Amino acid sequence: LLSEKDIQEPLDELEMILLENDVAFDAVDTIISHMKKSIVGQKRKLRTSSEDFVKIALKEALMEVLGEGFSLTEYINLHEKPVKILFTGVNGAGKTTTIAKVAHYLKNNGYSVVIGSGDTFRAGANEQMKTHAERVGVKVINHQEGADPSAVLFDAVSYAKAHNIDVVLADTAGRFHNRANLMNQLEKIRRVMKPDIVAYVDEAVAGNDAVIRAEEFNNAVGTDTVVLTKADMDTKGGAAISITHTIKKPIMFLGVGQGYDDVIPFEPEKIVNELLGADI
Amino acid sequence: MLDRLGTGLKDAMKKLAGKTVIDRAAVEELVKDLQRVLLQSDVNVKLVMGLSKSIKERALDEEPPKGMNVREHVLRIVYQELVKLMGKECEVTLGPQTILMAGLQGSGKTTTTGKLARFFQKKGLRVGVICADVFRPGAYDQLKTLCNKVNVPCYGEPAETDAVKIVKAGIKELKNTEVLLIDTQGRHALEDSLIDEIIELNNITKATHRWLVIDAALGQQAREQAARFHEAISIDGVIITKMDGTAKGGGALSAVAETGSGIVFIGSGETIEDLERFDPDRFISRLLGM
Ligand SMILES: Nc1nc2c(ncn2[C@@H]2O[C@H](COP(=O)(O)OP(=O)(O)OP(=O)(O)O)[C@@H](O)[C@H]2O)c(=O)[nH]1
Ligand SMILES: Nc1nc2c(ncn2[C@@H]2O[C@H](COP(=O)(O)OP(=O)(O)OP(=O)(O)O)[C@@H](O)[C@H]2O)c(=O)[nH]1
Ligand SMILES: [K+]
Ligand SMILES: [Mg+2]
Ligand SMILES: [Mg+2]
Repeated sequence: LLSEKDIQEPLDELEMILLENDVAFDAVDTIISHMKKSIVGQKRKLRTSSEDFVKIALKEALMEVLGEGFSLTEYINLHEKPVKILFTGVNGAGKTTTIAKVAHYLKNNGYSVVIGSGDTFRAGANEQMKTHAERVGVKVINHQEGADPSAVLFDAVSYAKAHNIDVVLADTAGRFHNRANLMNQLEKIRRVMKPDIVAYVDEAVAGNDAVIRAEEFNNAVGTDTVVLTKADMDTKGGAAISITHTIKKPIMFLGVGQGYDDVIPFEPEKIVNELLGADI
Repeated sequence: MLDRLGTGLKDAMKKLAGKTVIDRAAVEELVKDLQRVLLQSDVNVKLVMGLSKSIKERALDEEPPKGMNVREHVLRIVYQELVKLMGKECEVTLGPQTILMAGLQGSGKTTTTGKLARFFQKKGLRVGVICADVFRPGAYDQLKTLCNKVNVPCYGEPAETDAVKIVKAGIKELKNTEVLLIDTQGRHALEDSLIDEIIELNNITKATHRWLVIDAALGQQAREQAARFHEAISIDGVIITKMDGTAKGGGALSAVAETGSGIVFIGSGETIEDLERFDPDRFISRLLGM
């Protein structure tokens, strides 16, 4: 039988690995102490060291946290068109670029797409979205800087309905979860355009704050699925664990660069193997 | 000063204050509590371990100075070590200079460039800005719009693909300005050709300062990323952006430690006025969960 003493050292080591890879402190705390409880007293299989035993158990625990992922194409096939996707998240997380990539991905998979340029606030936002849309060959609906974002996105949805477009990708200005007025604006956008999917975007390189903002966005406007960007920045994706552990919503895509092809459907096993090694 | 420390550490200190003897166990408990708050604030794990070790050693080995009891002595050590973590003080000179902005994608370089233009302009200096970002769609429009708001000249060539060429032309065009700010495209440690590009930009501009712009929410990656930028262009100041969110900025501190620099400015909002000088006391409070 495994005693607390047998597993303490390997657990400490794994705890360190998680922390060094940006799994948020509190998430690590809960995951590790939960594991400890469930492992102590278990029968160790012949020829498995307690170290391996702990590692396997952690892998399983993390896989469970991460869940299955979210297949966008499957969702679209099963639902009435247009499928409306609202992208939310904090400043600079990668929403606009992700929308361009997803538009490209959907087009390549045979769907028609329209983009709603819902960031009417940030300097250069319209130009950024327009250039991206032009390059991936997708129609974009935009109003002037300072216009009501709900109105732009409503127009994008109307356009999609009038032209039998399969998918509406709705961009929003970046905002922090602690700004009540901006979160209310987002809630209004949600009411007006009635998205089928709210996709929350954050960066794979975010640290502990990832947990707080994921939770606040989820509380304020709801989140159906998550996109993690900037996974190419030499990171092992601990934020994926922090976020799914907190809001229990599946991850849809990873952003792995700034090219239009740099978006990959999420594979939980890959993240776990990168974190803990593929040898077990 | 100590009363301004955050609740996280305050609780730990209170615990210490309630102890009849400050022995090894008490110090170890304090250090453990401190580790928790620092890790929750995204200070690099290795840095936290180093800091804990040195607090523990000093608290157990150093004799308290005259007139100070053991408890006060330990608290003072903690505070001193935390202050050390903040890096050196970064003076901002109000004279002619060239500043090269560097950082990861989306960290806030362009917005901060606009804020800095405003800052130096308000100090009565002639400011000019160059857009050296040839990659991000709308990069020039973004910077130009920000500069127009405060009537600062902004040089850029949206159709050109060679950043070095733009910067050379911009330096000529803006030769009458006292403070020249150069906004660059986002890049990260693994993008070798972009790292080479910023090395070249640094060479041709002979920049007075090379400031690394770091998102307050950046986690454990901060250290490694900063190391690469530092190796390339010798970073001499860090700007922490998005401090109006809830992130604590411990990643940026790790970048400070890595580059041996200090924090120059804090970005605290999206408007051009949302730039603050760095206040170590306030920062420590936030870091420790006030
Ligand atoms: N390396 C890398 N960069 C990315 C990725 N996704 C986005 N970026 C870059 O990150 C920066 C910010 O991306 P945006 O798409 O403008 O982010 P945003 O969330 O729309 O920003 P705001 O609208 O200002 O809140 C840009 O330079 C993008 O090219 C990614 O997966 N990897
Ligand atoms: N709330 C808040 N937002 C900020 C701050 N600084 C920058 N931002 C926002 O963060 C996002 C990214 O800022 P940019 O200035 O475009 O970042 P960048 O580093 O130039 O991005 P790239 O050029 O794509 O690498 C924008 O939405 C900005 O408005 C800040 O201090 N507070
Ligand atoms: K960011
Ligand atoms: Mg955007
Ligand atoms: Mg920029």
